[in-house]
Amino acid sequence: MPENTVPATSTPAATSTSAAPAAEAVPHRSLRLGVAGPVGTGKSSLIATICRSLADRLRIGVITNDIYTDEDARFLRSAGVLDPDRIRAVETGACPHTAIRDDVTTNLLAVEDLEADFSPLDLVLVESGGDNLTATFSPALVDAQIFVLDVAGGGDVARKGGPGIGRADLLVVNKIDIAPYVEVDVDRMVADAVAARGGAPVLALSKNVQPTVAALREWVLALMERHSSGVHTPVDPGPMAPHFHADGEGGGYVHSHGEDETHGRDGAHRENGSHRKDEAQGRDEAHRREGARGQDETPEGPAH
Amino acid sequence: MGTPSGAGIAARIVTLLLADARLPTGAHAFSSSLEPALLDGLRPGEIPAYIRSRLLTVGTVEAAAALVVARDPDAGTVAEVSTALEARTPAESQRAASTLLGRGLIRLARSLAPAAAQLGPGVAGRSPHRAVAMGLIASVWGIPEAELVTAMCYDDAQTVAAAALKLEPGDPFAATGWVLGIAGTVDAVLAEALPVTGPASIPAPSSPMIDQWAQAHAARDRRLFSA
Repeated sequence: MPENTVPATSTPAATSTSAAPAAEAVPHRSLRLGVAGPVGTGKSSLIATICRSLADRLRIGVITNDIYTDEDARFLRSAGVLDPDRIRAVETGACPHTAIRDDVTTNLLAVEDLEADFSPLDLVLVESGGDNLTATFSPALVDAQIFVLDVAGGGDVARKGGPGIGRADLLVVNKIDIAPYVEVDVDRMVADAVAARGGAPVLALSKNVQPTVAALREWVLALMERHSSGVHTPVDPGPMAPHFHADGEGGGYVHSHGEDETHGRDGAHRENGSHRKDEAQGRDEAHRREGARGQDETPEGPAH
Repeated sequence: MGTPSGAGIAARIVTLLLADARLPTGAHAFSSSLEPALLDGLRPGEIPAYIRSRLLTVGTVEAAAALVVARDPDAGTVAEVSTALEARTPAESQRAASTLLGRGLIRLARSLAPAAAQLGPGVAGRSPHRAVAMGLIASVWGIPEAELVTAMCYDDAQTVAAAALKLEPGDPFAATGWVLGIAGTVDAVLAEALPVTGPASIPAPSSPMIDQWAQAHAARDRRLFSA
């Protein structure tokens, strides 16, 4: 069969329909925030807490990933923290890791549909299917991620480390109000976590302890601020994938690093370890530099 | 035929990619309706027969539709084939699964040169049926017809076999054997699909049990696979 059976593509009319809607058809790009962590650590509850405490400030949507049910979506809908239509469930076909990392298609389509249906949304929270310590989000799906542990899972879990514990944007040690009953020393567990993360943020949280909820709220708002002003850079706890940069004016662009020759190779990005979070202090500065130079990255951009 | 080179090798690689479960198109959440079939009493020993039944019904329709699109990949044919597919897919849940998978496929294809320029929304829309997306992709890379049909049959069979290992205790080696065992059935699918000349002559076999299983599954609230 001849190779080019495709007609010299679109007629002018078709071209204009595909190009023209740019203004109306591209919904506002939200900040996409992933919430991962083992089963039962309180991911859904954390999302409910975020929704409750930020309902006055942000327009929020939620995508849940359940392994066997849509239980989490139901829980959140019944919690009454958000318009139930803004909470959607994605099924992961027994592969919760795959759905947030190797093949984010279904989640990405769900996020985009939610953004389109309720545009403009400021924040879309994506809850991973609860699994074990190794599941982390790809930056192709989320701009930032929270990893959730709880005291009931054992005081030593934070010390064990792993990609989510070590390199998520925020590590939450949840349910601290029950620590006395499960004989866990919260201060010790937090100190272990801070050490495992090279100083990156750790939040000891209970939905029943107001100051901790306020701290969570402040963290999310600060992240929103960094994101919308274009200085936030998605971090991949694992290998780096294409990700989105906001431009500070409600738009933004997707780019990637590494061997993709259609994008510039960003030495700063890779070599200062800013994606790895091992230097909590240098991070913000690195992001600012990247944000500034990211704008004019070209295929001929600086090599390493 | 001679050893392929250049575009021929690219076509082979694309064919292998289309048949690879690791392709990022969202297909990993699907069981080709095996989960509802088992829940309704299909015995694990009948899974190879289930695979054959699917290929000779749903699989044949999809293969023929993909070929019609691949031969004439313009917006008019896509629209006619889409209508023909919907008329042959009575279960709403199956139509929804097909467009979700097609959307994932076309989205992936559009990210890859040279398909980006050829598969705009003017031709493929936003959520084409899976078979339509396969046909369009085949046309862009020039995948030979028999290879396209074989890859589609393989994918459906492997989807069932892989889902079976998550749904029932079983030997992965045996499941591999089921997939290899489809060769004769693929011959039969090819015999039906290759002579199809246009949207109207796409076969219209019925598979009422699969339709019913698919519909029942969509309403089920505890399930491992989406469809």
